[in-house]
Amino acid sequence: MSNVNIDSIKTRTFDAIVVGSGISGGWAAKELTGKGLKTLVLERGRDVQHVTDYPTTMLQPWEFEHRNRLPHDVKQENPIVSKCYAFYEGTTQFFVKDKEHPYVQEKPFDWIRGYQVGGKSLLWARQTQRWSDFDFEGPARDGFAVDWPIRYKDLAPWYSYVEKFAGITGNKDGLATLPDGEFLPPHEMTCVEKYFKEQVAKNYQDRHIIIGRAAHITKPQPIHLQQGRAQCQHRTICERGCPFGGYFSSNSSTIPWAMKTGKMTLRPHSVVHSIIYDEKKGKATGVRVVDAQTHEMIEYYARIIFVNAAALNTNLILLNSTSHRFPNGIGNDSGVLGKYVAFHNYRARINGEFEGMLDSTTDGRRPNSSYIPRFRNVYKQETDFLRGYAAGFGADRIQYRSQDGIGEDLKANLSKNKYGLWHVNSHMMGETIPKESNFVALDKQLKDPFGIPQLRIAIGYDDNDEKMVKDYQEQLTEMFTKAGFQNIRFSDSKQAAGLDIHEMGGARMGHDPKSSILNRWNQLHACKNVFVTDGACMTSTSTQNPSLTYMALTARAADYALKEIKKGHL
Amino acid sequence: MIKYMKRRNVLKSMAIAVGGAVALPSWASHWLAAQLPTHSFLSNATSSLLATVVETIIPKTDTPGATDLGIGPFVEKMVADCYSKTVQENFAKGLTQVDALTQTRHNKGFAQCDTAQKIAVLKAFENHSEAQLREFYGLVKQLTILGYMNSEYVMNNITHYEMVPGRFHGCVPVK
Repeated sequence: MSNVNIDSIKTRTFDAIVVGSGISGGWAAKELTGKGLKTLVLERGRDVQHVTDYPTTMLQPWEFEHRNRLPHDVKQENPIVSKCYAFYEGTTQFFVKDKEHPYVQEKPFDWIRGYQVGGKSLLWARQTQRWSDFDFEGPARDGFAVDWPIRYKDLAPWYSYVEKFAGITGNKDGLATLPDGEFLPPHEMTCVEKYFKEQVAKNYQDRHIIIGRAAHITKPQPIHLQQGRAQCQHRTICERGCPFGGYFSSNSSTIPWAMKTGKMTLRPHSVVHSIIYDEKKGKATGVRVVDAQTHEMIEYYARIIFVNAAALNTNLILLNSTSHRFPNGIGNDSGVLGKYVAFHNYRARINGEFEGMLDSTTDGRRPNSSYIPRFRNVYKQETDFLRGYAAGFGADRIQYRSQDGIGEDLKANLSKNKYGLWHVNSHMMGETIPKESNFVALDKQLKDPFGIPQLRIAIGYDDNDEKMVKDYQEQLTEMFTKAGFQNIRFSDSKQAAGLDIHEMGGARMGHDPKSSILNRWNQLHACKNVFVTDGACMTSTSTQNPSLTYMALTARAADYALKEIKKGHL
Repeated sequence: MIKYMKRRNVLKSMAIAVGGAVALPSWASHWLAAQLPTHSFLSNATSSLLATVVETIIPKTDTPGATDLGIGPFVEKMVADCYSKTVQENFAKGLTQVDALTQTRHNKGFAQCDTAQKIAVLKAFENHSEAQLREFYGLVKQLTILGYMNSEYVMNNITHYEMVPGRFHGCVPVK
């Protein structure tokens, strides 16, 4: 009997455990297995194999029963996820339905989740910009949150490392605010985007319009071909899964790469309940998992644990990992765990029209857009709000078909493609300030279907965000007006926090264990063999799309973890 | 049906992923809108009236019309699956009114009218004094156009949809 137990424990013991297989978990898996560690990757959702588990990827528009619209009952049953732009008939299989994992909204919060192997890396918008020291130094300079314990130089080589593998398209623009990366050839800007770039350069000192930097393979390198990935084919239906591996996802890239090492065990349907802390050893020894299919609780053990469950779920797991030593959640001596959560303010948009360049249009499709790096409060504080915003920018020729008439008239109208003016549009991506009052906590009564406490989410906007929206409106309107754009219309969706799908923080990095959860290597200050390298680690949000930074932080932390293991420290 | 679709998609995915031309066995192609199951918030008679209405909106000419492309069943399915009960009831009521107005004007069914009469009846709904009936007509027309423009025939032969463009040029002359 005892032998059976020993054998069973042996089969459940690994060198490393990675919780989550999304964009950062996939990187942890790749790096740790690549360094020879026997690694267990736990994914709460089902397996999604590259290509074969993308059921809608090759469907033509007419093959969708509802032409990609959502059925009424799906919308009724899923008021939260139905708000997400990427949730449509062709993608419902990759999103968590509202009832699957309930949570408590202390303030309105649209929690958009993807529970499957690959997580939201199948669904992301693929924009990948580096941070600069203007971002890392923000909290210290402007006196909010705590100082980041790292600077750009710490992350720069790791940005390069992950960019080369993932495949990032971009242009070397030479901007101090948005450091250049290891770029594959850039996508083209449209005529009017280029025109706007020139106009803005003429009218402003430090404002730039550049082509977006995105995780698309525009020219495959040997490292991409080795992954079985090919050139992006410009289908722009990425969120259905890409059979070419044209954009980066865990499914097309890091997970199969880790699998090839022979060192990875991937366990889907594994909901992590908590981290096991050994009071005598003074470190974490493993995790408790609820099997999503049998609801059986199983323990797995390892020397190091990477928590990459996605920002809020990582907070949930840490908060739920209580012990005599850590009654308020593992690593939470400071009491800041779950607090200082922030996100990106995506509420505002500006649209307009341009009457010039009417002899020109575009051809083909582009899974990218142009981008306006943050220009507000960069070199000095210049407004009555903190920080600033980046913005997406796009200009496309309007094409339409008249829908006038009935019968043969209508049919003839529909057969004629007509050109309108150029449509110009921008959307705001604002930094929000992490605050103690923006937090997540465990509900004391309510449980999810696996018996795990539900998360109470209290995250919302503040006065700083309102001022920033107003400034975005004023500045973009001025930039559009100076460029001769007309019919400029501003809109504020007032969408709840969460719909940006950029929630960050709760287990922030910092120098001081009294005011932060993680150190400069993404280790829990108080339990060094637990690493958190997903969005939960973020001390502040800046304005960049965050995934690339999670990838770089993960690769850096994995490298450090192995060095510490070799030194006998872990 | 789901299993069938899945198998076919996997085949197609594989064909494209290896970079070859898509050559599939005949059982894997031709999955037509006309084979869609019909939905039954409408009676059979009202269903066939709807089919005649959408054929009036987009008739067969030297190219296929709404009937050829299965737009009637499509519109019915869309209203059944993607709209609230209230909208469905208004939709059914609208069709009844089409029938009623035709009887009043021409003393025969909608299907028995000539094209000009049918168009005139529908135009009466386009400009109807009752908002609900204008909405009914607006929805029929909108969904008819949606089904037509997203049909295999139109996307292949008229709008020339490219599933895999493989390119983007930011600035080219308007042809």
